Amino acid sequence: MSVMSVAVLLAAGSARPDEESWEQSLGTSGFEIVFEHYEDGNWDLFISKPDGSGVRNLTRSPGMNEMYPQVSPDGSRIAFVADTGAGRETVRSVWVMGMDGSGLKKVADYARQPFWAPDSRVLAYLPQEYPKWNVVDYYTKGMVYYDVETGEKKDHPNAGKLHHLYNPNFSPDGKWIVSTVHAGMGYGHAILLIEADGTKVFNLEIPGCRPCFSPDGTHLAWGPGDHELSVAPLDFSGETPKVGSPVLRIVDPKMKIYHIDWAPDGKSLSLSRGPNGKGDITKPNTHASACEIVGVYADGWDIFAINAAARGTIDLSSGHHPKARQITHDGHSNKESDWVPAR
Amino acid sequence: MVSMKAFRKGTGSAYAAAALLVFALGLWGCGPSGSPDQGEGKGADSSDAAMGNSGAVIEVATASGIPMLLVPGGSFMMGSADGEEDESPVHRVTLAPFVMDVTEVTHAMFEKMQLPNPSKWQDSPDKPVNQIRWRDAKQFCNERSLEEGLDPCYDETKPGWPCDFEASGYRLPTEAEWEFAARAGMGGDFPFGSADKLPFFAWFADNSGAQTHPVKSRKPNAWGFYGLYGNVSEWCQDVFDPGYYATSPAENPRGPSETGEDARRVIRGGSWKSSSSMCRVSFRQGQQTGDTDACFYTDFCGFRCVRKPSVTELAMLP
Repeated sequence: MSVMSVAVLLAAGSARPDEESWEQSLGTSGFEIVFEHYEDGNWDLFISKPDGSGVRNLTRSPGMNEMYPQVSPDGSRIAFVADTGAGRETVRSVWVMGMDGSGLKKVADYARQPFWAPDSRVLAYLPQEYPKWNVVDYYTKGMVYYDVETGEKKDHPNAGKLHHLYNPNFSPDGKWIVSTVHAGMGYGHAILLIEADGTKVFNLEIPGCRPCFSPDGTHLAWGPGDHELSVAPLDFSGETPKVGSPVLRIVDPKMKIYHIDWAPDGKSLSLSRGPNGKGDITKPNTHASACEIVGVYADGWDIFAINAAARGTIDLSSGHHPKARQITHDGHSNKESDWVPAR
Repeated sequence: MVSMKAFRKGTGSAYAAAALLVFALGLWGCGPSGSPDQGEGKGADSSDAAMGNSGAVIEVATASGIPMLLVPGGSFMMGSADGEEDESPVHRVTLAPFVMDVTEVTHAMFEKMQLPNPSKWQDSPDKPVNQIRWRDAKQFCNERSLEEGLDPCYDETKPGWPCDFEASGYRLPTEAEWEFAARAGMGGDFPFGSADKLPFFAWFADNSGAQTHPVKSRKPNAWGFYGLYGNVSEWCQDVFDPGYYATSPAENPRGPSETGEDARRVIRGGSWKSSSSMCRVSFRQGQQTGDTDACFYTDFCGFRCVRKPSVTELAMLP
């Protein structure tokens, strides 16, 4: 095939063999994707196959509002936040249960943003800054490690200084936590690398928020802005960890794109996409803030999968892209996706 | 959703019990504006009789301890014929009495209400908050109202959190209230006289060192308000419309009617990064609220609060 004919094929949006195999692998990987979903005045966790089939409600609890699902690396458990009460009386709590719904247990009240250590035994979370309700994502102070086997809790060794973190997650080797900080720890806004068992903190000097380690720890995905997600290599070889130039940019000039997350095999990414907005507080159990924030109604938001092997720029505003696949279509505030390993 | 009034929870007596520290400050004769360190305002040009004045401002002690001044209201000429296009036409405005914070809201005040402080510079509790979304400011107003047993002005159960101007609690100032307080009875671009005196009254680009500074670290204006001309720009209640002055009502203007949740809102006053021209009392800006932005980095946006005077306070007026 000539260079010209390849170019014509790409311009027409036709799938190349590697793209076809990526699409096929989504269906055969055995992975699933879990995400928060708002319907009939209630938030629940929904689960789907990466090709969009097999959608089902994982929680079905009208009295609780489950959001921010985080599946343990071994796929045995799922942690999430649940809101009870309404308006100013809302209480956000961290919960954990088996993937089959067994062993449901509340981990902590006035807490949010759970994330798993690689051993699937330690579940970390961020306590709220104050017990009073507030929807903003950086409303946190400290960090707690919870042993899901024994129920023991202990503070992160630097907990007293960890302030206004959000969207943390562990590196695959468990040595580091990457997190956004907003107006805390002496930073106006930054993405930090935080030592998991120590007090070292590095500013990764990249703009934006919501970083996520690749499963092999070699890359970072994050959102430099409301309309862009990036993937870039991580370099731990020097004295100070560095983020290299992005190898993949996912953009959408029209819609917001957020909540990027890696598939367990590192071959795919998931994200949420939808129009800008600040919620609709006429909807029960929702709050007023930027629509990408947990607990804010996000009309028209859906989950997408992306081929993580892609390089260059993927523009989601130009209709179907061969390296992207829309997973949900109902627009019911589908956000904060996480991948479920094959079981 | 539960109505805001349901959240008062027994704090109703707090406000009533608050001591009212009352002493009339001569227009620019004694009190805050008359102390040796703060006398810059005394010589300000008050030759423009058309500016009018409020008669006297009265210091009010609030239940939360945040100092405020009761402004008796009055008439003044709003805008400027020599400024930007949106500052004209100059028009007479008459305002009802209102109570306004002496300073911009500080980190200490914000955190006392147990709100997550989004500010960039938090190295002193006495610096003004910044990186404040419009909704953050309104939320502070409501929290402070509840803390003092007042009825919140902003209805958090309705889209856009509409403002009840008749409620007893705190709200953001209207653009007219802000300019009335900033002028402190004076005409011209700078109520303390001229631009060369601005460094005595404001932290702005020429003297700020590219950061905010503690409130009360520059001189107050003639009525005793600090920081209206610099440090951080201040959110107002009004929707921003550059042509509003052509149709603005003469009494208690509150800005154009709500034009959707994403309308820009007025911010007034210069900031640590403003040129001297932006610190003029008539200078206007429209700012995106940041309410749809999870990470609002606009590090020059702060605010101060106002409220309707209580019956007791109104009785203190001449």
